[in-house]
Amino acid sequence: MTRKKVKLAFITNDSARKATFKKRKKGLMKKVSELSTLCGIDACAIVYSPYDPQPEIWPSPLGVQRVLAQFKRMPEMEQCKKMVNQESFLRQRIVKAKEQLKKQQKDNREKEVTQIMFQSLTGHGLQNLNMIDLNDLGWLVDHNLKEIHNRQEALKERAVSQVARAEADRMVQSTVNVTPEKAPTAFDATVENMQRQQWFMELMNSNEQMNFGGDDMMLPFGDNNPNSSWSNSFFPWDK
Amino acid sequence: MASQRKSKGRQKIEMAKMSKESNLLVTFSKRRSGLFKKASELSTLCGVEVAIIVFSPGKKVFSFGHPCVEMIIDRFFTRNPQMNSGIEHHFMEAHRNASVRDLNMQLTQVLNQLEAEKKRGELINQVKKASQTQCWWETPIEELGLQQLELLKAALKELKQNIAKQANKLMIEASNPAPFLGVNSNIGGVIGFENNGTGFNPNGQNFGYGHGFF
Repeated sequence: MTRKKVKLAFITNDSARKATFKKRKKGLMKKVSELSTLCGIDACAIVYSPYDPQPEIWPSPLGVQRVLAQFKRMPEMEQCKKMVNQESFLRQRIVKAKEQLKKQQKDNREKEVTQIMFQSLTGHGLQNLNMIDLNDLGWLVDHNLKEIHNRQEALKERAVSQVARAEADRMVQSTVNVTPEKAPTAFDATVENMQRQQWFMELMNSNEQMNFGGDDMMLPFGDNNPNSSWSNSFFPWDK
Repeated sequence: MASQRKSKGRQKIEMAKMSKESNLLVTFSKRRSGLFKKASELSTLCGVEVAIIVFSPGKKVFSFGHPCVEMIIDRFFTRNPQMNSGIEHHFMEAHRNASVRDLNMQLTQVLNQLEAEKKRGELINQVKKASQTQCWWETPIEELGLQQLELLKAALKELKQNIAKQANKLMIEASNPAPFLGVNSNIGGVIGFENNGTGFNPNGQNFGYGHGFF
């Protein structure tokens, strides 16, 4: 099967259009048939073309009449409820596609900011970021700190209760599984602005040192060595 | 971590009524949607009139029709192949077609954007996977040990402070540009102002007075 992307518009070339019509009509009939068989339901299809005064139909003239009669027997409201034409159908598709797009953009943004966060930890400066980036980044850092805290609490609990070990484990499992789901609202456009401002004001108020000293934003994760000696002067813990 | 397959992918399916009801209902929903999509494409690409009527397992009826279901049904039952030829009819048809053309273009545009975003997402995923093998702190938090958690926490706290510093710096720069811009008090006319001239922010942060930071 050709996998070229087809433009969603009337095919002006006569022969190409006729060929496409033949193929797609056949495919359409096949799909109706499959749907009917797989789901055990009644259906019919009617296609009028300029090439034939008689319509192409499925399943059969009698079959179509039967389904149409069944259709007509239904109350008007039921008939119209799920009825669409090109316009309404396309509008529905556009709405759905826009929703998917929005979600994908949100996911991508989240991943992008996560990348920025990890890069910042390894010494990439923050100079290239604008306010929106900084805000999103700040939010993500906070979110991660919360997750770390929760995880640490969970691990402590597990360590503490030796007696009801099984119980604790099960509890830990459900706690750990619940937390990540809180994440999604982060980049939700509607709540975003409010949260941004809020978060930022909180941070401004709670910050102890605000010296605007150097531009040097170097952070402790100097090298990319995964298990390197963390015993540089920044870390107070012994290794 | 094993690769997460969301579904088994395309499988050959037996052409008989599906045994599991839950699967049947899902299949109906998906295939009905796909069927209407195919009908819509057929009528757009080939300029033909189509009607599809489908009864759901729950006895509801779904229908798609171009120009509309009723018209096709009427046409089907009318022996006389005499088509509507009134001016009014042609006018309505032209109007309808223009509308459909428009919508198809809109849909195509959104679908293209969606595809682009998906590709972007895949790219980001690749980068993420690659760096996860290099940097332990990029591993999901659930998989980190206590010591690693402490280290990460400390680093993140410091990052948080740095972010606040940087943000504050930007805000101050935005509200106090005067000494760096020059004599004129016409701050509004920043159009054409080149950042390179100042030399104090080498990364060319545009202050964008047109669109504020908050």
